[in-house]
Amino acid sequence: MKWISNLVSGYVRTANFVVVGVVSVLVTLGGPPVTTLVSGTLQTVFYYPFAKLKITVTHMTGVAEENERLQLVLREATLQLSNVAEVRRENQRLRSVLNFEPPPSYTLLQARVMSVSGTSAPVSAMINRGSRSGVAPGMPIINQYGLIGRVVSVFENVSTIELLTDPGHRVAARVAETREMGIVKYRPWEGMVLDNFPAEGKIAVGNEVISSGLGGTYPAGLLIGTVRSAERMLDEPFCRVLLDPAVDFNSIEELFVLMERR
Amino acid sequence: MAIIPYLLYLLLIAFDSVILKDAISIKIATINMPVLVVMIVALYKDDLTAVWFGFFAGLVAASGGPPSQLGWQALIMAAFAAVGSLVRERLNLDSLRARLLVILIGVLLHNLISLALSRSDGWLVFVFSYVLAGAVYTTILAWLFFLVKEGRLTAEKIKAIF
Repeated sequence: MKWISNLVSGYVRTANFVVVGVVSVLVTLGGPPVTTLVSGTLQTVFYYPFAKLKITVTHMTGVAEENERLQLVLREATLQLSNVAEVRRENQRLRSVLNFEPPPSYTLLQARVMSVSGTSAPVSAMINRGSRSGVAPGMPIINQYGLIGRVVSVFENVSTIELLTDPGHRVAARVAETREMGIVKYRPWEGMVLDNFPAEGKIAVGNEVISSGLGGTYPAGLLIGTVRSAERMLDEPFCRVLLDPAVDFNSIEELFVLMERR
Repeated sequence: MAIIPYLLYLLLIAFDSVILKDAISIKIATINMPVLVVMIVALYKDDLTAVWFGFFAGLVAASGGPPSQLGWQALIMAAFAAVGSLVRERLNLDSLRARLLVILIGVLLHNLISLALSRSDGWLVFVFSYVLAGAVYTTILAWLFFLVKEGRLTAEKIKAIF
C-alpha cells in the first residue's frame, strides 16, 4: 500500500508542477494582451497602495523641508525688516539733527550715547567722544530739542556727562517770555522744577524756560523745558514751578558737545 | 481564511519592491525578498501550497518589471518552491545551518539567473557585488527571522544586551 501512496503522491506533485508550468507558459505565450492585463491587475492590487504611500511620504517630506526652509527665510526677512525700520528711525533723527544750528560763537561736536546709568531716571551717560576730539570737562551737552547736561569727566576716546536729571545738578535759568530768573533742578519725586522763582514773578503755563548764561557753565538761550504748572503759596517768597523737560532723557541717542570757538 | 497569510506575504514582496528595497540596500547588495519568502514557505508548507505560492510570488515580483518576463519569472519561482519542497523532505529542519544553506543557495541561483537575464556584459563584477553580496545579505535576514521565529531572539534579550 505504501508504494501506491508514494506513486499517487509523486504523481500529484508532478501534475501540480506541470499545471503551474503550463499556466506560466500560457501567460508568456499570451503576449502583451495577457501579460499587460495580469501585470496591470497585480500592480493595482499589490503595488499601487505602497506607491501611493511612498509618493505621499515623499511629498510630506518635501513639504516639511520646504517649511523649514521658508521659516529660515522668514526669520531672516523679519530680521532685515527690523534693521530697515531701525535705519529709517535713525535716518529721521539724523535729518532733524541736520537742521540744528549751534548757538553763536559755539561749534557742535556730534557724539553718540554709549551707555546710560541711573535708577529711577537716567542721571549720567557715556558718550563716544573724548579728549582726542577736543572734549573737556564742563562743556555743555545739547541735542536738537534742548539742553541735556555737561561733561564731567573726560578720557581719551570717551566722556561721562551729567544729565539735568541728576538731583545735584543746577542750571541758572530764566523764563524766555518774561525774563524772570530762577534755578532749574531735578527732584526725583516731582521732576524738573524752576526753583527760587519769586512769588511776584510773571510766569504762565506753557512759557519756555531757557538757560540764562549766568554762572558760566551754559551759554544763554538753551531751551530747558516748558512750564507745566506754577503755584503761588501763601506766605512763601517763591513760586512752585514744575517744568516739562524739552529733552526726553530716556531716549537720548545722538547729541552734541558745545565747543566754544577760539 | 487560510489564504490571508499568503496575501500578506505577497504584499510584503510588493512593499519590499516599492519602499523597503531602497531603504535597506547596502550599495548594490539588496535583499531578495521574493526568493526568501518563497523558500521559507517551501520549508514550512506542503509542496502544493509552496508551488502555487511560488507561482503567484513570481507574478507579483515580476509585475514590477517588464511584462514580457512575467510568465518566466512565475515559472522560475514555482520551480524554486518545488525544489525547496523536495529538499525539505531530505533535510533535518531542526538544523538552522541547513535551512540557511538552502536559502543561500536559492538566492544565489536566483540572483545568477536574474543577472543572466538582465545583463550581457560586465557580469563578473556583478557576480561578486550583486549576486554574492545580495545572497549573503538575504541569508543574514533569514538567520534573524529564524532566530525570532524560534524564540531565540526576543525583545527582552535585546533589551538585556543594552
